[in-house]
Amino acid sequence: MAILVDKNSKIVIQGITGREASMVTQHALAYGTKIMAGVTPGKEGRNVEGVPVFDTLKRACKEFEINTSVVYVPPAFAYDAVMEAIGNGIALIIIMTERIPQQDAVRFLSAAKQNNCTIIGPNSVGVITPADKVKLGAIGGDNAERCFVSGSVGIISRSGGMTAECAWMVKQAGFGVTTCVSIGGDAFIGSPPKKILSMFEDDPITKTVVMWGEPGTRYEEDVAEFVNNKGFTKPLIAYIAGRFVEEMPEGTVFGHAASIIEGDSGKPSIKMAALKDAGCHVAENFNDIIPILQNTMA
Amino acid sequence: MARVLENVGKNLLKENGVPTPEFIVAETSEDARRAAEKIGCPVVIKALVTAGKRGKAGAVKFARNPDEAAKTAAEILAMTVYNFPVKRVLVERKLDISQELYVSIIYDPVKMGPVIIASTAGGIDIEEIAAARPEKILKYHVNMLTGFNLYEAKEIWSDQGLKGSVLQKATTLLWRLHQLFVKYDCTVIEINPLALTADAGLIAAAILMGVDDDALYRQAYFSNKVEAGSDRAWRPLTVLEKKMIEVDKTEAYRGTARYTEMEGGNIGFFCGGGGGSLLSYDALLRFGGKPANYTEFGGNPPEAKVKGLVKGVLSKPGVKGFYMNLNITNNTQTDIVAKGIIGAFQDLNIDPEKFPAVLRLAGVHDAEARRLCTEAGLEYHGDDITMEDTARIIVEKMRKAFPEETD
Repeated sequence: MAILVDKNSKIVIQGITGREASMVTQHALAYGTKIMAGVTPGKEGRNVEGVPVFDTLKRACKEFEINTSVVYVPPAFAYDAVMEAIGNGIALIIIMTERIPQQDAVRFLSAAKQNNCTIIGPNSVGVITPADKVKLGAIGGDNAERCFVSGSVGIISRSGGMTAECAWMVKQAGFGVTTCVSIGGDAFIGSPPKKILSMFEDDPITKTVVMWGEPGTRYEEDVAEFVNNKGFTKPLIAYIAGRFVEEMPEGTVFGHAASIIEGDSGKPSIKMAALKDAGCHVAENFNDIIPILQNTMA
Repeated sequence: MARVLENVGKNLLKENGVPTPEFIVAETSEDARRAAEKIGCPVVIKALVTAGKRGKAGAVKFARNPDEAAKTAAEILAMTVYNFPVKRVLVERKLDISQELYVSIIYDPVKMGPVIIASTAGGIDIEEIAAARPEKILKYHVNMLTGFNLYEAKEIWSDQGLKGSVLQKATTLLWRLHQLFVKYDCTVIEINPLALTADAGLIAAAILMGVDDDALYRQAYFSNKVEAGSDRAWRPLTVLEKKMIEVDKTEAYRGTARYTEMEGGNIGFFCGGGGGSLLSYDALLRFGGKPANYTEFGGNPPEAKVKGLVKGVLSKPGVKGFYMNLNITNNTQTDIVAKGIIGAFQDLNIDPEKFPAVLRLAGVHDAEARRLCTEAGLEYHGDDITMEDTARIIVEKMRKAFPEETD
């Protein structure tokens, strides 16, 4: 068992013929991930590393049973690609594209919600389940085993790069991971940490979760509330980066609207205090994750 | 977010059917005098800077006649508002205001959609009112799938107690404002005050507007009018920061970097990616290090870009050491990064023997990165140590090399 992706994932890659998407396809196949098809308009009939390319997702879905899409389409076309995936009934859409206009993101996130479709990202580095050798996105590169070995720790990270580093710390502690989720670095994403935690709660293999947090948003505050309300009952180890940001001169105030809506949520110190109050293990230093893990897993 | 100056925002409002006061932009006190003569006194003089809360900073003043306008403009032109030196002022007709309303549109990060904030208690104390009397402030979440209809704008203002022709005017104005918010990829629009005048006019007396950096490619209206990322700045960009933006623009789609100059400090900071840099900076401060700048880079930057960035990092006066810390990469080629760094050291004739430096560079092609760095005499680490350990090493090296700079 794992969350989001496993051996039953039937995967399509939208924008498969692009430079990065082709490389990622090659790495995923080499890792052992099965990819059914790719989509790039005007390139039907070609293949990328043996994966057949279709003009439309509709045609790919006719040929294969597909339940998961990875979006590698450039920012200007990402909105349409995600709507195409929602329109074709794909249950899980993982969006790698960076720098998608906010308005577009908010629109497809609303549409996804209405259609009960799960979105990871935008601006995710991917999702990996080592037990089933399934990796989507750049996560793990050409050497996934360096950081990602199978085990019973779940990982949720707001930073793409630190997803691998967190998994590596778990490995240094002597353990492995169930599923690692790079949820995306943007302000508007499909699956905030709380949502992923509820999936880990239901996953019998996951015993502990490591979470990487950052300044801004209310994600960590929401997680603290969720833990307080017994929505997540397993040990949660959290590290919140960017404490120095609170000591920096604040970006010049610009109007009142943001402050009326957000108040002073978003400060690392407030997030850490909230998580501690909820009984989570908050690592003061990133290195502390190793001993904390060893204690909680003992 | 790119901040939009008030004159640009007001022109946009006018073009989209939202009434604004007549204004002229002035660069000197004499210009301001002539503007006041042309517009007719009394006038308002406002600092034209991309900062909000100018009223509270004393950068919005009234003038009863052209002489006073010239004198007031001279005062404001000599000011620095929240670190931004004032180079231009807005000379604007003073409205005969009977009531100040407030309206804004912004994306709500919790509901993940636009929210309209409306109040009949506008003015500079709106935040205090929001805290003390929340019932005076209405928050309305827009459904992205059905859009924002005229009747919803009407309900918002009717619920706030507006009636008659003012209700009609406010309804149209809010609906147009939302249209504009969508059409121009705004991240925030705030009208404060939305002035109800003695003759029952409804005029956007002041506007704050921000545009999504990532949508600028499709918003030709703003080209050369706004600066991407200007919401992050607490002061105007420094010369080196501007130069680094130019370096980053070369091969724009391969690797991105952000450079910020810190006050003082002696360690050149070049780390990645976004999260890894936050961790690296926290760790450096915790061990007692003094970073001179902050550079985060990500993606897979070409050698020339890395070299340009590192030269920038090292060229800041007072930099006597180099700290490069990176999370284990998924696809960034560490050998390319290493080549760029080594090239920068060579171009600047820096002798690694005498210049404390630590690199942690693990991931794709790191055997080659190790070989290159070792050959060049730079202290290299891969995944033999953690990211925090790297910070401790550079701080210890700095202490040893420059004991006089240690507190």
